[in-house]
Amino acid sequence: MSERCKEILERTYLFLDGEGLSVQERIEIEAHLEDCGPCLEAYGVEREVVTVLIARLRHHAPCPDGLKERISVLLEEA
Amino acid sequence: MAEVSPVNLSVDDKKRFQADALPLLDSLYAGALRMTRNPADAEDLVQETMMRAYRSFERFEEGTNLKAWLFRIMTNAYINTYRKKQREPQKVSADELEEFDLYRELKEHDPQWDATPENIVLSNLVDSDIIDAIDDLPEQFRLAVVLSDVEGFSYAEMAEIMDVPLGTVMSRLHRGRKALQKRLWDIARDRGIVKGAPK
Repeated sequence: MSERCKEILERTYLFLDGEGLSVQERIEIEAHLEDCGPCLEAYGVEREVVTVLIARLRHHAPCPDGLKERISVLLEEA
Repeated sequence: MAEVSPVNLSVDDKKRFQADALPLLDSLYAGALRMTRNPADAEDLVQETMMRAYRSFERFEEGTNLKAWLFRIMTNAYINTYRKKQREPQKVSADELEEFDLYRELKEHDPQWDATPENIVLSNLVDSDIIDAIDDLPEQFRLAVVLSDVEGFSYAEMAEIMDVPLGTVMSRLHRGRKALQKRLWDIARDRGIVKGAPK
C-alpha cells in the first residue's frame, strides 16, 4: 500500500461521516477513491460495518413498557 | 442518588418535558444498554437520567438539542454511578489495533472474496454477535461508536456529551471503529465464517 493510500485511508472515516474535512480535502479523497480500486473497496468495507451497526442496533431494543410507565408516574408525582 | 429537591417547574414546562423527553426513551434506553451492558442497570440509568433532567429542566435552553442534553446527563450519571462496578473488557490491545485492516484480512484469508465481503462476514453474524463485538470494546471506544453509529450524533454533539475536544471525539471514533472491525473479524473467525490465521 502506498503512503498516499495510507494517508487517504486514515481519513475515510471522516469522509464517511461527512464531517471534519474541508471541501478541498473531500475533493481529494473522492478523486483518489475514483482512481484507486483497493482504497475504494477498503472504504466500502468501512462503510458497510457502520451501515450494519445502524441497521441492526438502532431499533434493536426498545425501552421496556414497564420502565416507560414507571417514569411517567414518577414525573407526574414529582 | 443526591438529595431530592422539589421540582420547580411551571406547569407548562412540566408538560413540555413530558411531551418532548418521553418520546426519546427508546434512544436513551438503547444508549444505556450499550453503556452498562446489562438491562437492569440500563433501566436504572435511564430512570435516574430522566429524573435528573426533569429537576434541571429550567437550565435547558429551549430550541437546542434535547436528545444531546439528555445524553450528556446520562453519560455523566453513567461515569459517576455505574462505571465503577463495570468489568472492563480488554479483548482488543492497542498495538494490534494500529495495524488492523479488515479489508486486508478479508482479501488475504478468503481468496474467493471479491466485491461482497459483507455477505461473508457481516450478514453471517447474528445481532448478538454484533452486540458482543461492541460490548467487548474498551469503554471510551464503545461510547464513541454508540453515540455516532447507534445514536446518530454529530461530532460536535458528541464533544458536548463526552465533554472532550473535537479532536478527541474523532480519534476515539476512528480507533473505536477499527477495534470493532477487529472484534467482528475475531468473532467471525471463531464461528468459522472466515478462515483466519490462528491468533
